[in-house]
Order: sequence, then structure tokens, then C-alpha cells
Amino acid sequence: MDLLSFVTPLFLTLIVSGTVIGIVFGSIPGLTATMAVAVCLPLTYSLGLNNGLGLLLGLYVGGISGGLVPAILLGIPGTPSSITTTFDGYPMAKRGEGERALRIGIVSSVVGGLISLAVLVLFAPLLADFAIDFSYVEKFLIILFALTVMAALSKDMLLGIFSGVLGIFISLIGTYDVSNGGNGKERLIPPGTEYWLQDGFSLLPVLIGLFGLAAILEEAELGVPKGQSMKDIKVGAHSRFSFSVFGGQIVNLVRSSLIGTFVGILPGVGGSAASILSYTNAKTFSRHPERFGKGEPAGIIASESGNNGLTGGALVPLLSLGIPGDSTTALLIGAFTLQGVQVGPLFISGNTETWNAMIVAMLIANVAMFVVMYLAIRWLALAVTIPKHILFPIILMMCVIGAYTINYGIMFDVWTLLIFGIGGWLMGKVGLEVAPFIIGFILGPSAEVYFVKTLESFGTLTIFFTKSWIAVVLWLLIAGSVATSVWMSRRHRRLDEG
Amino acid sequence: MNFTRRTLLATAGAALATRPLGALAAGKLPRNVRLVIGSKSTGGDTYQNSAIVADALAKELDINIKVDAVGATQAFKALERDSRGTTMMIFHDQSYLGWLYGRTGYVDPFKTYAIGPTVAINPGNAYLVAKNSPYKTMGDVFKAAADGKRIRVAIQPGGVSEIGFSAMKNAAKVMHPGSEKNLVAVNTGSQSDKNQALWDDLADVINGSIQANEQFTQLDASDKKAMRFIWITARQKTLEQAPEKGMGKTTRDDLLKYASPETSVTLDGKKDFTFDKEFFFMFNKKMDPAIIETVNQGLAAVFKKGEIQKRQKAAFFIPNYLPTDQALAHLKDKADTYAKVIKDIRS
Repeated sequence: MDLLSFVTPLFLTLIVSGTVIGIVFGSIPGLTATMAVAVCLPLTYSLGLNNGLGLLLGLYVGGISGGLVPAILLGIPGTPSSITTTFDGYPMAKRGEGERALRIGIVSSVVGGLISLAVLVLFAPLLADFAIDFSYVEKFLIILFALTVMAALSKDMLLGIFSGVLGIFISLIGTYDVSNGGNGKERLIPPGTEYWLQDGFSLLPVLIGLFGLAAILEEAELGVPKGQSMKDIKVGAHSRFSFSVFGGQIVNLVRSSLIGTFVGILPGVGGSAASILSYTNAKTFSRHPERFGKGEPAGIIASESGNNGLTGGALVPLLSLGIPGDSTTALLIGAFTLQGVQVGPLFISGNTETWNAMIVAMLIANVAMFVVMYLAIRWLALAVTIPKHILFPIILMMCVIGAYTINYGIMFDVWTLLIFGIGGWLMGKVGLEVAPFIIGFILGPSAEVYFVKTLESFGTLTIFFTKSWIAVVLWLLIAGSVATSVWMSRRHRRLDEG
Repeated sequence: MNFTRRTLLATAGAALATRPLGALAAGKLPRNVRLVIGSKSTGGDTYQNSAIVADALAKELDINIKVDAVGATQAFKALERDSRGTTMMIFHDQSYLGWLYGRTGYVDPFKTYAIGPTVAINPGNAYLVAKNSPYKTMGDVFKAAADGKRIRVAIQPGGVSEIGFSAMKNAAKVMHPGSEKNLVAVNTGSQSDKNQALWDDLADVINGSIQANEQFTQLDASDKKAMRFIWITARQKTLEQAPEKGMGKTTRDDLLKYASPETSVTLDGKKDFTFDKEFFFMFNKKMDPAIIETVNQGLAAVFKKGEIQKRQKAAFFIPNYLPTDQALAHLKDKADTYAKVIKDIRS
């Protein structure tokens, strides 16, 4: 069949290999899907466009999906987009439901990936036109909506909000980057540290410092429990996975997948926002929001379907506008350019075979990801049975390597890992909360740029309310999320008093 | 098989004899070279061009070269730290434009670093308007500014994106003194932000590129996204080296209509302003000149073979090898011209 003439054994092998390598990259804290694609990008020149794209899309899907493994088993997000998976995945793993949590995450990932792929195939040009209706105002409101999860995630709302605002504050240290629309001036840098902090703190070292190193320091404080053996640790024997867990979660699954897809469609909003927004929504609309953050499967479903939903969504602006939806798809432009192929509004109509190859590659990559990860679960889950005096040094080594390599060999990133590792450990001591802090840190720079750009462009604060019907809908969602958090906080207080 | 001393010596001799010629000259070059670039993107033109050059040079000199997309600030720091020859840098005109515009993290590259050979030009720097805009040409823009209309131009400040805008202001000042104040910059970030500024009616003119924006110029005027080129800053002789079929559905002849001399943005009332985005090597000032010479010779050999030119042209780059001395004089001349433009519009 001519339509699928590009489907050769090499094409299939490259997709599956890419997916497996991507999963490995995603599973190692500090290594990301973006890094996997960057490493393999030069190979695509000799592979040809379709085969090269097959490899890169496999890496992309695998890299995004692999992040759930350390997020669930170790409480360390493998990639920034799996941050919200740690909130419920790790508590489940700690109570012996690691395998079940992994299966929930993998099924959610494949559903998210396939839904976003369907949206890409059916509505790509249409959605690209809709996406350009989102100006600075609407993008700021989307970030603000995602930020409302800070309050919802906190044990103590006031401390949670303070932690989140502290995260935003620290994220703004450095130069107000002109490539993001800033003025290129340095701000908030302590005197004497300009040399190191000119570019601020890099996200990934901060992330693995707060979640990886801080957790290791906490465990080290407890010492090695005497008499504990591998047999004492339950991987999942007493909590079998069943698809019935998705019974009441179809709406959550589909909604989160669509949110992830939609966030991917909006250039510049960022991949991490996809899972955070999906999680915020799942919690806001849940009948049991109080269970979130304590090992609630709905949290994993929202997070993983949301971040895999991003994969198809981020390709929409790339293939319909020539604008990448996230940092990984930005690299795909390089693959196209190396082959002399232009991406833009005429790409799909002018490159039918490449378009078909990408769709088939995404489909195969999602299926391969599901099969490989599902089959490997039992072995993956065994990671929690490795004695901690062996496991932790390995994790620490991987964190350091990841921090050093994320920006192609900058030693300050390793110091950042150490600073935030100790900082995260100390935060726990004084009652500050890490989850809202990191969400503030991730979303702070985007919030700043879109807020300032809105004021620069329109010159009035009222524009946030009057710009469009989209802005009004976003305000309603923000109000709903805040109201849920306040209601939950009061309910907790009443329960505590009662 | 027995490995006698004679067998080993013969094998080593044969291996040495079959090595590329360049490897013999590369005696002082380290085996592993880190090529830092002034961009953090591995999908952008700086990375693509550097990857093509690094690949060819590594083969020619029989060494390993790894391209690291660390960004301008970190790349300059890495270059300053290492005088052994293990770190080199490829960047473009932004390296001195950033300094001329006073951007944080930029210093005078001609004083601070050793400038190496140029390797390629990206001829794509362009300015566009919405297809249904009342301004169809640069002449329309200058006339509107002279008539007192405010023209908003979306750029990323402090470098390559701004220099064309500075040239517009300078031309407006030369042609209709005082009208330059009606050309105002809209400070945006990425290409996506600039496009969005046009679609949101926050800008009348945007800085873009042939590569990123050509397909938008093919859309029907009824499409909100449709754009029109009004100026391509490249020199005529640069664009004439582009593939004849041009980019997308815009042929090379079409592109030439938007560049000097057909589209004129005057520099001083006599000559037109032009700007080519040129990629070149930079080295630590204290680096052994013999190493720079080895790189120079290696690149000369690479360009003599002619294969790299095909790869560069396929990626819409114009091959432009100039050895160190010529490159330095050429780039300094460009920098002096642009310094005067920037000074004139500020005065």
C-alpha cells in the first residue's frame, strides 16, 4: 500500500528503540525527553526524514512516559512534567502499592497519548487557529489557574501559599531574559554572586535537589533500620491492579488528556503546566479532594494522562504554525531543517507522507511504550526492594550526573542541586512545603513574562477581565479552584477541632 | 597470529599513513574539542550550522568535536576559562551587537577573544507585515512615519533582531528628520511572540526570517495569519548565492525584490543598509596561535573539498569561509558600520 510505503523494518525498529531509550532517559532523574532527542538529533541526518522522525518521536513519547517510574517508586520526578505524579504515586508506593500505581500511570499515559494523537490527526489546523486567539492575557490566566493548585496541595494553606510565593521569588533570580521578552537586566541577584546567578537557577537541578537529595538526607537522618530485610518490603502483593480503578475516572482521564493536549497546543506555556493543570482540575472536580496528595489513584491518572496528552498537542503548533509547543518539539524543527523541510501553515498539505509517517510513528511509539513498560513493571517495581544503603548512593550519583549534563556541563548546576537538596531538607524542618514551592518555581517565570507583557501591551489591569470570553471562562475556573481549596481547608480545620 | 614488534610497528605505520592528511597538521590540537555556541537551542540555526561545521572539521582533523548549546553567557565564560584549545566557540554577529547595544553578559569580542574564520551566512533576516496591512513596502512604512503615523515594530531587543529596526530608524532620520520617533519598538521574545504580536494587532511590522515566515506569506489575505515580506536585510550578492528555487514557493528572484537595491533602506542617503547574519569561530585570546592556524587550515581544506557547501546550502545557509585575518577585518568593518548607525539614532 503506497500510503504506508514508509513503514519499513528500519522505521519500526527505530521507533521501538527510540521509545525504549526514551523510557530509560525519562526514568533516570535529571535526564529528560528533551535531552534524549538532543543527543540523537545529529543521527537523523543520515537516517532520512521519516526514519529520523520515527526515532525522535519514539524518544519523545518514551521520555515523557518514563518519568513516572522514579516519580512513583522514589518520589523523584524523572522529568519536570511528572512532578504531580509524585504527589500520589509515591504515597501509594510507600504503602506497598507501587506496582498498582505504576500500572495506573502507564494505562493513563497511553490513553493520554492516544487521545492527543487523535486530536492532532483530526483537528490540527483548526486548533492552531484557536491557539492564536490566546494572547498574553489568556496565557497569564492559564498560568494563574495552574498556580492555584499551590493552595490545594498544602497541608497548611497559609504556609503553602507562602512556600509557593517563595518559589516564584527564587525563580525570578537572574537576568530578565530578552529571549522571553524581558529587558535583559539582572535582578534579585545577591552582590558577589553575579557570575554564577546571571542565568538564575536551572529548573532540573532544583527539582532533583528538592525531591531527590532532600529525601535522601531525610532518610539518612533516620539511619539504617536494624533487622529490615528485602522480604519486609511489599511491592504490590496485597493490592492488585484492576482496570476497575478507572471505573469512576473516565471523565478525569479524558479531561486530563484533553487539558494536556490543549496546553501543548499553546506555545510557551510549558510542558510542566500540562500535568499541574490536569491535577488541579481533577482535584477541583473530585468528590474527595481531601484524598489528593495522600495516594489517590485519580491524581496519578490526571497527572500522567495530562503529561502524555502534551505529546500530540505540542505537535499541533509545530506542524500548523512552525512554532514548537514545548522544548522537545523545538528540537524537531532542527530535524526538519537539517533535511531542508520547512514547517509552517502549509506543512501538512505539502508533506503528506511525512505527516502520515509522524502519525504512524506516534501511534507505534505509544503502543510500544505501553507494552514495554507494562511488561517491565515487575522488575521496575523491584527498585523499591533494593536496600537503601545501595540505592541511595546510586540515585545520588544519577542526580549529580543529570544536574551536570542538563545544560551541557555547567558545574554550578551541581551546586544548585546541593543547595536545593539541603534547602529542601531544611524547609521540611521549618514547616515550609516543597510541592507548592516547586510549582511556584516552575510557573513563576511564565507568570511574570505574561503579566508584564500584558501590561506593556494593553496598559491596564482591567484587560485581564475584559479581553475575551476565554478570559472569563478562565476566571471562573480560577474561582472554582480557589473556592475548593478554601472549602477543604475549613473542612480540615473542623475535623481537627471535632 | 603472533604479534611481533615488527608486526606492531608495521600496523602502526600503516595506520599513520592512512590517516587524513589534516591529522598530521593537527599535532597541537587536543583530541577532544568542546565547541560551545551562543545559543541554548539545538533546533536553531546556530546549532545546525555549528553541527555541520564540527562534523566536517572533526573528520578533516581526525579529532572529536562536540557541539554544546550552552547559550551566549555560559559560552563566553567557558571560552574565557580555557586557553588550552579544548574549548572553541561559534557564534554570529550577535556577539558584537550584544556589546554595542549594552546587553548584560556581552563584552567587546574583538578585544576579549581571538576572532577566527567565518564559515557561513544565514541570509534569512527579514521584516514582515500582515498581508492586509496598508503598508505594502518599506517605502509605505517610511512615508507613514513621515506623515506622523506611529509604526510599531516587533523585535527582540539588543542584537540581530534589533539592528534592522535601528537601520529603519536611521533611514527615516536621513530621509525625513524627526520621523524616526514614529518608528517604535515592541519588545517581544521568540519568533512565536513576534508572530503573535502581529496577529493580536500589537505590532504593524515584525522581525522574522525567510525560513520561519515564508509559508505565512503564501496564505490568502483573508487568513488572519497571512503575512507579506517587506524587507530582507541580506546583501544582494549573498542572496544571489541562495538556491535558485529559493524557499518554499518564494523563488530566489522573488526574495531579491525585498532586498537592496530593489528595496532600499538607506544608510546615509547614498548607500543602502544591509545585514548578513554571519557565523564565525572565536577562541580564547591566550590560545596557542598554532592551534588557531590548524583550525584555519582544516577549514580551508574542508571548504576546498566542496562537500560542506552542499550540506550548508541544503539547510539554507550560504557558505562563507574567510580565513582569520580576512574574517577579522570584515567583521570589524561591519561592527563599525552598525556602531555608527546605533550612535546616530541615539544622538
